[in-house]
Amino acid sequence: MALLQISEPGQTTAPHQHKLAIGIDLGTTNSLVASLKSGLAETIADENGHHLLPSVVQFQGKNDNGYQTEVGHNAQQNASKDPMNTIVSVKRYMGRGLDDIKKHSIYDFVTEENSVVPRIRTVAGDVSAVEVSAEILKTLKQRSIEALGGDLTGAVITVPAYFDDAQRQATKDAAKLAGLNVLRLINEPTAAAVAYGLDTGSEGIHVIYDLGGGTFDISILKLTKGIFEVLSTAGDSALGGDDLDHVLTDWIIEEAQINEPDAMLLRQILDIARQTKETLSQQETSTLSVDLGKNKIWKAELSRQQFEKMIKPLIRKTLVPCRRALRDAGIDSDDIQDVVMVGGSTRIPLVRQMVGEFFSTEPLVDLDPDRVVAIGAARQADVLVGNKSDEDMLLLDVTPLSLGLETMGGLAEKVIHRNTTIPVARAQDFTTFKDGQTAMAIHVVQGERELISDCRSLARFELRGIPPMVAGAARIRVTFQIDADGLLSVSAREETSGVESSIQVKPSYGLSDGEIETMLKDSFSYAQDDIDARKLREVQVEASRVVEALNAALEEDGEKLLSSEERVEIRQAIDELVEIAKQSNQRAIKLKIEAVDKITAEFAQRRMDASINKALAGQRVDDLK
Amino acid sequence: MSNNLKNSMADNYFSLLGLPVSFDVDKAKLIQNYHEIQKSIHPDKFANATALERRLSVQKAAQINDALETLKNPIQCSIYLLSLYGIELGANDSNIDPEFLMEQMELRENLSEVGDKDDPLSELDNIMDDVSSRIKQAINVLGTLFQKLSFNDEKVENDEHLLKEAKAQVLKLQFLNRLQEECLNKEEDLAEQF
Repeated sequence: MALLQISEPGQTTAPHQHKLAIGIDLGTTNSLVASLKSGLAETIADENGHHLLPSVVQFQGKNDNGYQTEVGHNAQQNASKDPMNTIVSVKRYMGRGLDDIKKHSIYDFVTEENSVVPRIRTVAGDVSAVEVSAEILKTLKQRSIEALGGDLTGAVITVPAYFDDAQRQATKDAAKLAGLNVLRLINEPTAAAVAYGLDTGSEGIHVIYDLGGGTFDISILKLTKGIFEVLSTAGDSALGGDDLDHVLTDWIIEEAQINEPDAMLLRQILDIARQTKETLSQQETSTLSVDLGKNKIWKAELSRQQFEKMIKPLIRKTLVPCRRALRDAGIDSDDIQDVVMVGGSTRIPLVRQMVGEFFSTEPLVDLDPDRVVAIGAARQADVLVGNKSDEDMLLLDVTPLSLGLETMGGLAEKVIHRNTTIPVARAQDFTTFKDGQTAMAIHVVQGERELISDCRSLARFELRGIPPMVAGAARIRVTFQIDADGLLSVSAREETSGVESSIQVKPSYGLSDGEIETMLKDSFSYAQDDIDARKLREVQVEASRVVEALNAALEEDGEKLLSSEERVEIRQAIDELVEIAKQSNQRAIKLKIEAVDKITAEFAQRRMDASINKALAGQRVDDLK
Repeated sequence: MSNNLKNSMADNYFSLLGLPVSFDVDKAKLIQNYHEIQKSIHPDKFANATALERRLSVQKAAQINDALETLKNPIQCSIYLLSLYGIELGANDSNIDPEFLMEQMELRENLSEVGDKDDPLSELDNIMDDVSSRIKQAINVLGTLFQKLSFNDEKVENDEHLLKEAKAQVLKLQFLNRLQEECLNKEEDLAEQF
């Protein structure tokens, strides 16, 4: 293990070093990875020159090194021979419960005891969607390390803007399993806007219409001087090219008079449906041929017009979110500068036509709809690791769904409304219903509907340790925070007594920390020793980060914002931390960091306020006149 | 009261965003200042920072976002201004003049009957135009009231009266706003039927 380098107090740190960062588009059908090469964002190809990695994982077995899998093109080719062990479109199952995913699925789903997460039964054992996605991410990670020739500092991973909390959390868990340091989850349409906006530099209001393999997003953004401000977003996290394939599959099954196709036949028909769809974007007609077995072949001809009639209701379904996004953004079609098409499904002529009619403008299709998201993510990753390529760039995104709480009578009370800029924090006060009540159950939901049963259950938790009082006397303030990744966290406090109540948030369809820990241990990248070493290393890195940051802060603002006593106290704390970080007691280092945090919190707060004042300084001068 | 006001003035959403306390918010300046501040404190600027700084930056950015949201929306802005004067709008504040309530009931009735009309969408448009112009009017009235309110003046008695009036106006505005929301929901429902 490399020794930790810590510079002398007051000394500036090493010269600026270019850090390796990647952007990953973890798609329903295909996934991509991109990185910045001498200022230019490019997708990275595999050794055969393929940029797209089919999001397909074939499970072959399991040994001490974890799952044996085939990922990508090979897995895709094996899918029709080994359909039950070859997982396609796993993104549709992320953060979802059993009821949501059974439809149109050929897999054998099971739920284990003590877990709410559905798993797919394979020859390698029962695997969750998170683990399947982790296999895809591992492949992309490996590809990047080989291409870039070094360890990765971190990754930005994109998710559909309309993904809810459970789906985002599942994506982050998958990255953790794959051993990736997630710098940020960003929304796919926002990433596309970054790629597009930085490409053309055009200011104004842009609409991103993103129809992928399994999800649909519409985002309306305003671009001003490097700031990408999302005005509104809407969509459908279960509508995409796959659904068009399903419509066509149903048609084939009916026309060919197939009774209850088995998994292999169904996989074959689904593949034919996808190919036909793609052909009909290029040609007016397509010939289909299905091998029914026993030397029976079914053949048919399908015209684009017939196909369009089948899929039109689904495309029309995407216009409802478009209308809502316009309304939430408070703009008219006239205000829109352009509509950018993203996602493989926007190659379909009917999609382009209907979107063009809806927004009364010819949609832009000149950027590669497959690659644009990964490229935008790579740009943002580069900014986040501090490579200063697009220094002035800032993304201001929103939360796609309202966050609410269950109240009496099964109604949802909204705490944070959809399309609120993130990060956001809102507090809500609660009181007790009965005398002497010491606990209360809180149910958090996401969605727009009034009835709890129509919203998605996010989490249930219990507030405990409320001091016994008469009914209605306690005042419990619960704070809901959505961070820059769009993820929710909750904290609570009883205000009259000052008691911090313990909260355990149980994600309704998420893996528990224990389950993730077990998966990490099972996977070959982290044998038990490795986990301990890794934890120590992580905490040492954080220690060096704290020391580095504090030294820089002292140099910059120590004289201005601190008294000499305060400076002495902080210097001493830094020295102690440096000493402790040299040893390998993970817990001691962690505790010391916490102690240093406590001592320096006020300083950090003052620095934050000072930087706000500095940001406003230019404006303030004008005010003086 | 003016003392209370001054105390709470030191750290409020207006000063946070570098603006004078006023109902008549300079929107361009608001957005410009908001952008400048977010450029310096947004969590993306602290992706490599210590856990403490990351946490602080999320909190601060959330506060700035809340400030922007409050100041750019006239209803929220007036509720906030009233709160700076120590006036809170409770859930039981339904002290609204009967005439206004009658009007509201009428509008609501019209809205509920829209679906039965020959041309529901254009009927709805009429109602929405009506509601929007009422909202605009109420905001204008509020603007005049807040302008008369001298935010650091000594004429407290006069202010008391003006504040009461402003509060009544905000309550009306809340009614109208809810009605407008229902109109928009109706529009969405109707649009989905087509």
